[in-house]
Amino acid sequence: MGQQGLLTMQTKPNPGLFKRNPPIAGEAEAIERAKNGDADAFSKLYSLHKRRVYTLCLRMLGNVSEAEDMTQEAFLHLFRKLGSFRGESAFSTWLHRLTVNLVLMHLRKKGLQLVSLEETINPSEDDAPKRDFGSRDPQLAGSVDRVTLERAVASLPPGYRMVFVLHDVEGFEHNEIATMLECSTGNSKSQLHKARLKLRELLRQPDQLPPIEGNKEVKQ
Amino acid sequence: MSDLTNVNFDTMTAAQFEDYLPDLFASGDGKVSEDPRFAKFLAANPDCAALVSDLETIAEHAKSLFEPTEDPADSVWSNIASKLKDEPQGLDETGDALPVE
Repeated sequence: MGQQGLLTMQTKPNPGLFKRNPPIAGEAEAIERAKNGDADAFSKLYSLHKRRVYTLCLRMLGNVSEAEDMTQEAFLHLFRKLGSFRGESAFSTWLHRLTVNLVLMHLRKKGLQLVSLEETINPSEDDAPKRDFGSRDPQLAGSVDRVTLERAVASLPPGYRMVFVLHDVEGFEHNEIATMLECSTGNSKSQLHKARLKLRELLRQPDQLPPIEGNKEVKQ
Repeated sequence: MSDLTNVNFDTMTAAQFEDYLPDLFASGDGKVSEDPRFAKFLAANPDCAALVSDLETIAEHAKSLFEPTEDPADSVWSNIASKLKDEPQGLDETGDALPVE
């Protein structure tokens, strides 16, 4: 092959990190107690999961205020629905799916069609990644750290960002995403590929990336 | 999406390769660069090899974003706690937003 990719990340991910949602000490007991109306136990569930739920909302919505509202909504929904959790899947997986569903319902209520019909999640031509096999820019061979990647993801068009976050960050499969977004698996694959192409473009010009909304940038 | 059954991966063009990429990444473990079927093609097309390498790097490092990094404002819990006081648990029996276990 002879050539290496342009992007060299400074922060190597922990290979074990992507084992989604390992059991959390004390969680099962807190769930059972919370189901029986124990307010302290529900508070513990909030403490255990608030960061992940909020971060997920923030990445999907790209807006601090909306992300906080949806975090609140997710935990209120959790309180109402906790009795429905039967323990057949990891609690955090269940909670994340509940959160994703709520965010998608919120977006649909706002009138965003980006998650409903085939190809409607395609961004405008300006936002779409360019087909540019060939030209490699040697100036772009610098390293890209986690903060830069986070900023690039935040800069993606909403439809691309949604599929990228769900698949590459959250670890959902294409068939799961297709169900959630009411699109085909082919569309999910296509949108993910375009998202990665767009990210490649964005990461080539990291100094042009805008700061994340509210200056709540990711700590390294 | 692409039907890869009868594709000759050694003689395909770069444009064809690009069309196949979404499916290629979605199949197997997503490591196109390590798939022996494309070794000859990628060796002959270094720009395609670089593209594959970059996209794999992006996908790999996206996993590092899974670790949550942001705390919601304290007011979020205050609002939740305040609303819970007025709300009996398990009242909502509808299936809205409920994920399938």
